[in-house]
Amino acid sequence: MYPVSSQKRSWTFANEGQLMEFRVEQNSKYIELHEEEAQGRDLNEHFLTSAEERLLLKQYEIYLFDFCRRFEPPMPKCVVGTAFHYFKRFYLNNSPMDYHPKEILATCVFVACKVEEFNVSINQFVNNIKGDRNKATDIVLSNELLLIGQLNYYLTIHNPFRPIEGFLIDIKTRSNMQNPDRLRPHIDSFIDSTYYSDACLLHTPSQIALAAVLHAASREQENLDSYVTDLLFVSAREKLPGLIDAVRKIRIMVKQYQQPDREKVKAIEKKLDKCRNQANNPDSELYKERLRRLYTDEDDMPAEDASFHIADVSSDTSAMNISQ
Amino acid sequence: MILAAKRRQVNRRHDGRPGVPAVQDHQIPESIAQADGHVCGHTLCESCVDLLFLKGSGACPECMVPLRRNNFRVQLFEDPMVEKEVDIRRRILRDYNKREEDFASLAEYNDYLEEIEDIVYNLCNNIEIIETNKRIEAYKRDNREVIQRNKTRVGRDEYALEEMLELEKVQEEARRKELEELENEHKKKKARDKQALIEELMYSGKDAAQIVTEFAEKAEKQREEEKQLPPPKPANEFSTGIKFGQTADPSLLPVPKSEEGPLFVYEPLVPFSEGPTMPPTSEIVSRGYIAHIRAETPQENAGGFTSALACERALQEALQGLYYTATTGVVSAT
Repeated sequence: MYPVSSQKRSWTFANEGQLMEFRVEQNSKYIELHEEEAQGRDLNEHFLTSAEERLLLKQYEIYLFDFCRRFEPPMPKCVVGTAFHYFKRFYLNNSPMDYHPKEILATCVFVACKVEEFNVSINQFVNNIKGDRNKATDIVLSNELLLIGQLNYYLTIHNPFRPIEGFLIDIKTRSNMQNPDRLRPHIDSFIDSTYYSDACLLHTPSQIALAAVLHAASREQENLDSYVTDLLFVSAREKLPGLIDAVRKIRIMVKQYQQPDREKVKAIEKKLDKCRNQANNPDSELYKERLRRLYTDEDDMPAEDASFHIADVSSDTSAMNISQ
Repeated sequence: MILAAKRRQVNRRHDGRPGVPAVQDHQIPESIAQADGHVCGHTLCESCVDLLFLKGSGACPECMVPLRRNNFRVQLFEDPMVEKEVDIRRRILRDYNKREEDFASLAEYNDYLEEIEDIVYNLCNNIEIIETNKRIEAYKRDNREVIQRNKTRVGRDEYALEEMLELEKVQEEARRKELEELENEHKKKKARDKQALIEELMYSGKDAAQIVTEFAEKAEKQREEEKQLPPPKPANEFSTGIKFGQTADPSLLPVPKSEEGPLFVYEPLVPFSEGPTMPPTSEIVSRGYIAHIRAETPQENAGGFTSALACERALQEALQGLYYTATTGVVSAT
């Protein structure tokens, strides 16, 4: 039940300003911590600004959707929705400079597959990733616990798909609309585009679902306003303005979405390579050193014998090449 | 002294000084020393006891514990340690007489049994004697009532045994009486037969020899009949005396004691929807909602899922949260 869920309690926010605050805060926190790495240069030159981070993440949301769309075997819609939730939630509490979005992206999808009971093995999973698969396996598996921890172990996601079914059943039963099933393609495309917005962090799944249904109806030159006012909200007219407001906001959010500029993103990625947290970069010496120490601590074996994939494939930087 | 001197040859450890224990003497009954509340467990032969405790009391020659002559007992077990332990155990169990039904759970009863073993072990091996005695005193004080009650109450097992013995006695009595009656009847009959034979011989004009053989034959026949006589009693019990056709004696089955814990209180689930009210479950079918959802497969139905359930859930999720307005939101994103 959504009204008593952790999603409502901890992950549904008041407005976009609040989300922005979190993101700016994460950005400045990271810069503060790594200030000396700039070596006297302008901080804005060396580190990503909050706006640049947003742009980068927007680009990676596109990658995330493409990755899910091309996934073999084809994955159910709810896995995609859940993966997007995880991705957005993760970067509310972390800066993309700290954890590279391409790594978190794959981990989000992997965890979403598990949570939504879409059963794929790690081998099947990394077959969808171009580049070094051993390395990808290591990255996904080593980030899995980090991700779950950052989500505060709230893994249940309420997606708008079941509410959509509910509305369609209700419309078929109570309104006299002809063949409501023709709304489906429009509903699906609307839901796909909500993934790129922050709608799921601001509104309830049923509101998003209703917005999708209403949007689809207007595309089909149908009017469901009377269904909403006379049937759904007949007993609570005073609540209607709140819903209208929510639906309007969701539709505006979707409408206002702009694809990030490719060139800009490329520049940002270059910048990111320099300013990202090297301790979390699987290609960096720092990361290898840290991992080596971790392994030797755990297994109590000499550092020379520590053999693991990441050290072996250090020359290959094209791993996790999801974007191409 | 003479006896002791004699024994010197028999037992290597008896070195002539009276009072030094002769452990392996089987001919003369040995006694075990016992002081009030404390048994030192050293053995003495009876003649040594006579010698050393002439005055009625004295110190144990081995460990100098003051002893009374009255407290010497004949040793039953060869090993004095066993003797001592049996004695201590008997004394301890006089007070530690709780039974399983006095405890709420088996675990508590087991703890209690363990405590007894601890005490017995401590007393036998002279470990923390004073503390252990204090513990016993404390236990006696705390449980005076229970101890008293259990002392007066005959154990349930003993009670059952007594009942069985009583029953056996009654049965034996009945059997004895029956036999007696049978024998009396037999005797009377014999006398009657004899009388009849004499009368026959006296008054009938038949040949005496013929009458005698006739009667002998008759008696023979009767005896045979009697042999078949005792009718088999209807079997209503096993050879062990346990009745069958009767449900198990309820006293033999201890009532299981449940662990005391807070009782489960059912609180009905109050659906909190934050949206328009759901159509009631009964109307899902009657108002035609169900027509717009895929019917369940037999496999799904076997798992307990019906299309009405799925329909209800979809509607519920559609209506939940529709009234939500972002007034406060979440304070922190953790």
